[in-house]
Amino acid sequence: MSILIRRSNLIIPANQLRMIRWGWKRNADAVTIDLQDGVPTNEVQLARKMLRNSVDQVGKGGAQVFVRVNANSVYADCAAAVSSNLTGIILPGVESADQVAEADAILSELERQRGVNPGATELAPAIETAAGVWHIRDIITASPRIRQAGIDEAALAASLGITQTAEPDPFVYARGRLCIETIAAGIQPVAVTDPMGLGVDHLSHEAMVKIANNARNLGFKGMVCGHPRWVEAINEAFTPTATLVEYYTQVREVFAQALAAGTAAAPFAGRMIDVPVDEWAKDVLAMSAACAARDAEKQAARNAADAWSNLPVPTMD
Amino acid sequence: MANPHRRLKRSGLTMPIVTERFINNAWHRGCDFINMDLEDSVPPRLKDVARNLVKQSIPVVNKGGADAVCRINHDLMEADLNAVIWPGLVMVNYPKTEYGHEIRRMDEIITRLEAERGIRPGAVEIGANIETAVGVANAYEIVTASPRVRDFGGASGYDMSRDLGVEMFVGFDQFVYGKGEVELAARAAGREPRAAPFTPNTTGSVSDPDRAFAEADASRKCGFRIGGGLHPNVVEPQNRGFSPSDEEISDALWVMQEYRKLAHSSETWFQVDILTVSAQQNPRPLPTDSYLGRFRVIDRYEAARAEELLKWHQLCQERDREKSEAVARVRAAEEPA
Repeated sequence: MSILIRRSNLIIPANQLRMIRWGWKRNADAVTIDLQDGVPTNEVQLARKMLRNSVDQVGKGGAQVFVRVNANSVYADCAAAVSSNLTGIILPGVESADQVAEADAILSELERQRGVNPGATELAPAIETAAGVWHIRDIITASPRIRQAGIDEAALAASLGITQTAEPDPFVYARGRLCIETIAAGIQPVAVTDPMGLGVDHLSHEAMVKIANNARNLGFKGMVCGHPRWVEAINEAFTPTATLVEYYTQVREVFAQALAAGTAAAPFAGRMIDVPVDEWAKDVLAMSAACAARDAEKQAARNAADAWSNLPVPTMD
Repeated sequence: MANPHRRLKRSGLTMPIVTERFINNAWHRGCDFINMDLEDSVPPRLKDVARNLVKQSIPVVNKGGADAVCRINHDLMEADLNAVIWPGLVMVNYPKTEYGHEIRRMDEIITRLEAERGIRPGAVEIGANIETAVGVANAYEIVTASPRVRDFGGASGYDMSRDLGVEMFVGFDQFVYGKGEVELAARAAGREPRAAPFTPNTTGSVSDPDRAFAEADASRKCGFRIGGGLHPNVVEPQNRGFSPSDEEISDALWVMQEYRKLAHSSETWFQVDILTVSAQQNPRPLPTDSYLGRFRVIDRYEAARAEELLKWHQLCQERDREKSEAVARVRAAEEPA
């Protein structure tokens, strides 16, 4: 089974031409073009016209490309977004399985019209409300397109009247529920840097890596970030470190020796090693190889990309 | 809360049944239970050998008064049950429980084996261990699947970490949601939760007695009563941490004595400044700097807490006596004539 490596997902407003143009250089595993929060209503039309070119542009560095659509114009936004170069859409404000089913049907129709492989377009629900957190199981099992789901913490905070501060953390329950339910359903939970990271100016690279590490150690498989400074920190945190790879390589050796000696429980470095530790060691080593392969893939794409290609200038009809 | 018939499980050692010296030496460690493992500590090629050791090992591990418990393999459930359900085995731990139907199936098999092997019907408990996200998601369905599930817990540890894809021992409460769901399901179903509050552990040591005591003590104060571990070093600290201290017992007796005074008044509560209590008084309350503080409110909630503590203390005492008598009997039998 191949591992889905989607550590960093950089979100860029669809109308920010400079960021759209250069976003591919940021080394994100995924780029999300945002038609929702970042784009003023009167620019959405124009942004939609540019969208398929923008998708191609931000994906030049090997990133998978998502579009975050508006909850109240799912069809029009999807119609502007769907092509075989689009990895998926982020569907905001999901509170029920019906909303997922409706978006799924829209994607199926657009795929059929455009010759995209049926079911190829992912659908990632973003939870923004208490109702969404409560109905999470129904939501994430409502479509086979769903491979990842997340909570938009800024939106959830706003909908609950929460002023987000670093301590106390208001989303212990919501995040825990997301991780358990998504992993139980066989899909990946995705974290957000904001407001988990509460801004970026005051954060060192190390501080960002620590935040991303904590997210990983809750069960998250990647993070959506609004600032390019986060990308490398997230990639770093979600890639097994050399120390960890070394440690688990030793774990596998010690465990193999124990098995040969007739036990599957062995002391190692002050801890106790048994079957699940060895299984996890295999997972970490496989993850490490998969991350290296993904990084090489992106590097090759960046090398091949024409850095000087111009973003086509859209015209108004 | 204190059910006089319940089994105490303050401390217990889990050990590979194939490691003979562990099995042979476990009985005098003072454990409330001994968990003979057929699962993750036993190599695959030894699974058949392992399950056939259980019947003969039951009287070995329980001769010091410990309850004999066995952890079977999730994927070898029927074969394992058939080999391990014998008189003297009080509980079967079922790892990586994910669905209620797994527990119902186990219940059927155990019910049949009890009848066939002369075991009191319903005697064998099922320990449904939650070790995956699916298990957490189905917690209530699982805990209510059989009356044999008398305590219920998990949602942390190596298997859970692997399922979530996280490193353990990172110094924050990674499993808080899952543990909360499982505890809530257990309590809602009227079963005893097997859980522990978060106490930082960044070393991953399984043999640190101070940590074991601190965790057991904190667990007891959070209403949890079940321990267990992997190293003999943690048995005594767990027994101690899960049992009320002499000071707490004296305090509880004092609370009950104070509370009885309310019976002759029209008040429902009153407050005592501990500093006004004579240092010679017996029973006497915990000192002012204890976790209960200096100004103590005496009301029916505080009395209920004290009463439960005293009942629990009595159960602990009886259990400790039972175990020490069993160990003494073995020692006496071993004395050269």
